[in-house]
Amino acid sequence: MSLTIALSKGKLLAGTEELFLRAGLPFPAREGRRLVVPVDGLRFLLVKDMDVPTYVEHGVADCGVAGRDVLLELEPDVYEPVDLGFGRCRLVVARKRGAAAAAAASTVRVATKYPRVASAHFLERGRSVEVVRLAGSVELAPGLGLADCIVDVVETGRTLAENGLEVAEEVAASSARLIVNRASYHARRDEMSRLLGAIAKARTA
Amino acid sequence: MNGVSHRLVQVPPGVQCFVGDEARRRRQIEADVIAVFEGWDYEEIIPPLFDYADVFSSRALLPKTYSFVGRDGSLLALRPDFTSLLAKIAAGRLAGRPAPIRLYYSGEVLRYEPPRAGRQSELFQMGLEHLGGEARAADAEVLAIAAECLDGLGVRGFVLALGHVGVFGGLLAGVDLDAATLERLRERVEAKDPAGVRDALPSGRLPERIAEALVRLATLSGDAGVLADAEQDLSFCPPARAALAELTQVIETLQSAGLGPGLTVDLSEVRGLDYYTGLVFRAYAPGLGFEVGGGGRYDTLLARFGRPMPAVGFMLGLDRLALLLERQGARPSAPPSPAEVVGGGGLGRALERARGKRAAGTRVRFEGRP
Repeated sequence: MSLTIALSKGKLLAGTEELFLRAGLPFPAREGRRLVVPVDGLRFLLVKDMDVPTYVEHGVADCGVAGRDVLLELEPDVYEPVDLGFGRCRLVVARKRGAAAAAAASTVRVATKYPRVASAHFLERGRSVEVVRLAGSVELAPGLGLADCIVDVVETGRTLAENGLEVAEEVAASSARLIVNRASYHARRDEMSRLLGAIAKARTA
Repeated sequence: MNGVSHRLVQVPPGVQCFVGDEARRRRQIEADVIAVFEGWDYEEIIPPLFDYADVFSSRALLPKTYSFVGRDGSLLALRPDFTSLLAKIAAGRLAGRPAPIRLYYSGEVLRYEPPRAGRQSELFQMGLEHLGGEARAADAEVLAIAAECLDGLGVRGFVLALGHVGVFGGLLAGVDLDAATLERLRERVEAKDPAGVRDALPSGRLPERIAEALVRLATLSGDAGVLADAEQDLSFCPPARAALAELTQVIETLQSAGLGPGLTVDLSEVRGLDYYTGLVFRAYAPGLGFEVGGGGRYDTLLARFGRPMPAVGFMLGLDRLALLLERQGARPSAPPSPAEVVGGGGLGRALERARGKRAAGTRVRFEGRP
């Protein structure tokens, strides 16, 4: 049986394709609509970025590519042997420019796609927190009064600036990681180490 | 009215109910595993379902333990694992029994578990503990038993991944680190994430070669050849080297007993319950995304109960084994042949006939009518 690889259809796909081609590995064609794509002895699952760790943790996929930001949020029980180096971004707390007063409030209201990361960040610093969970366009929340601040990923900071926000604190740095199911790592060691070897080599090349 | 009846049949999250073939298959697996335990001269212990909360000392299990206050004000807990209970029994009830003591158990443990891969709040575990006796022999014995259980159940392609917590522990022995940093390092080593280990290193507070060895540790897993690599990487650190030598000895013993092919070395396996002090292992097989069981050596746990004694044990998860065997396409045990229907000719006479057939060992279905 061939190895199954879960990939996010989102922003990490281009970097993953480049890496796989450099490693001499097959990769699914971009135009298809199929979500399970067998290519030359590998099987690819194309899923949402927040779902990649779930597929890998359950062993439905043997490995996958996921952002460290997503891994911090979901804390899946998987191995993370390779930092793939692309998809670099930062998880940050951002608030309205000059909104120092909100930072002093006793309970922080934070809008985010990362409820676990956001609440842990404030609780660990002794701040009470109220999480407003959103699925997207998080940058809107402070301007509309839905939250005091947001926890989100930023690459260039342009979206933040366009919405009148600025970075207040950095929570964590993120990049794409290769994640591996724990059982596949051990029970399918030969195939897995060939794949890992090829990817690690292309990563440093 | 409808609302009420719906609520009454609702199942609380985390518990399971097994019917028919599923129940039969579980009982069969349990019987097969117990037969192996008994075959190696282990004796059954049926421990209580709850005990004083402080018996269960594992910090890792503490947040998952269902605890409650007893009528007399004492803090009690539903057993979240068996090992602590068996250690207590060996040190108390069986205090006069000479070592080694070989005990096994089969039953449920209860844990608060968030819903995720392969975890329920009610877990059925079958396991054994080898208390006292010669450590390397005991390590090899329990690993051989684990392999025999999986073999006997027909699990295909299983692997026992062996590590030793003394490698990680030895590297950090005598190094003054705060608990949070230590936990982050452990967690990143477990994730086999060398880049993450590097990020988690406290700057300037660890000697360079220890830091480098920790980063390397995250990559040290694979076939027995890993042991030689590790020996080089750890040569500067006597306690880590000693741990590695123990592990090597166990692996060599198993190899010479013909158990080599199903083994892998996993030195970054440093997770596990916090009472482990030496060898640790997990059993994996293709078809299931997580381990079916595991165990390890816990040489300090018995001292808590006043009978210091080295010990080693392992357990297999029945829920996981059942799932794995199903995924691997194992044939379900044959359903029983239909029962013989007995009835007619007056209730008393019919019942008498049914009892007669039962005495002869026949399976009957009683359909008598008055």
